[in-house]
Amino acid sequence: MQDSPVETVRRATVLLRWYPKDWRARYGDEFAELLISDLTERPRSWRRTVDVARNGLVARLSVAGLGGAALDRRDQARASLASLGCALAVFLAFGIAMWSQLTIGWQWSDPDTTATRAAMVVLSGAMVLFAGLALLAAIPVVGAVVMRLAHRQGQGLVRPTSLVLGCGAILIIGSRHFGNGWPGTGGHAWAHQGLVPGGVAAFSWASTLFVSSYWAHPSALLSFPAGEIAWMAISPTAVIGLVIGATKSVRRLELSPRALRFEARLSGVATLGMLVFLGGCCTWVVDGGPGPRDLFHAGAIDAAGLVAMAAAVAVAHRAVSRARRGGPWMTAG
Amino acid sequence: MPPVAKARGSRDRAGKPSESLGTLGRYAGPATLILASLAEGAKHGYALTKDIEAFAGVRLAPGTLYEALSRLQGQGLIEAVASDDRRRPYRLTAAGAEALRAHLDAQRRVADVGLHRLAGTWG
Repeated sequence: MQDSPVETVRRATVLLRWYPKDWRARYGDEFAELLISDLTERPRSWRRTVDVARNGLVARLSVAGLGGAALDRRDQARASLASLGCALAVFLAFGIAMWSQLTIGWQWSDPDTTATRAAMVVLSGAMVLFAGLALLAAIPVVGAVVMRLAHRQGQGLVRPTSLVLGCGAILIIGSRHFGNGWPGTGGHAWAHQGLVPGGVAAFSWASTLFVSSYWAHPSALLSFPAGEIAWMAISPTAVIGLVIGATKSVRRLELSPRALRFEARLSGVATLGMLVFLGGCCTWVVDGGPGPRDLFHAGAIDAAGLVAMAAAVAVAHRAVSRARRGGPWMTAG
Repeated sequence: MPPVAKARGSRDRAGKPSESLGTLGRYAGPATLILASLAEGAKHGYALTKDIEAFAGVRLAPGTLYEALSRLQGQGLIEAVASDDRRRPYRLTAAGAEALRAHLDAQRRVADVGLHRLAGTWG
């Protein structure tokens, strides 16, 4: 049965939404015309819907620097690095939650299995590596942002930079507040135990409080103090804002080829670090055991975290290999 | 090394770098059909679909057609023609013509060898 012309245009517009905004700006009109002609000739075709959906997703992956047709070299590197940043954020949200559970547990009592000890050493080493890489990666980005703003060329950078600063401040202040307020970290008589200082453990725990299985148990969650529940809702929003701001800043910055090569090298090391960290987490979850007083118990949220982290490693690996696909421009020097 | 792979990164007589369809992965098939259709002259998306259906018996779905078009355009093998119409036509570039010729030559050599061997073994 033939649709009315208005209905055909509506269906073409709906199909077009599978594609990203940039792609629609370039090909939208002509593609819509093709869809209208195709819909007029063959009003019903599930193959067409599947084809448009699949290629729309490919176009979205391409814009994210993760697949599809290669972008312009600089765009490709920037898009891939931004996607790697997103993958790293997801990875660290779950990773820091696991690590902080172990660091806090060790403050109360030594782990009774070699697997948990080994995991703890591996995770702590990887965390030091991530902190160092983050500092090194921030230097050229912050430098370029400051230079652009100083020369009044910061159009398009003010909002994402403000978002990074605002959300970063919320995370730091909130994590400090809730970390200090929790009696189980840092303030007790055994705070000298473990691999990391109690304050670091408490800060990490508070910043990832939202990674919790309590979301699946609302009655238990409601027994928490209202401020803590509010923080569990606000902190992930701040993390998302931070990641969006950082991603937009990186994508809008005109970094030099040298700086992009430097960032791509750091990203490769970060991906290796993620793999090592994931190995440490697996060691704990699979073989670590609950330990004394159930301090090192691995629950369903940790198993779910492993799956999310493995997916993030796969995305990061893809992003790094795509960033390096800039050819001689990216690999020279 | 197969001729198609050899063409990658080679230079044409004018000294310009040429592109190979081998870099298009699973879109190499649709790309060959599109280039072969455009070898006749500029066409817009729907005209390409109908022409390819007529000479190859294959109907390229809209998403596949435009993914291949955007890749070919990105490689400089085709270019958009200025048009007031919303249906923008595309035409072959010199690099596209060279890549198509190299690809079809390679396919013809494979076809010739296959047919010759079939004739020798199966009559």
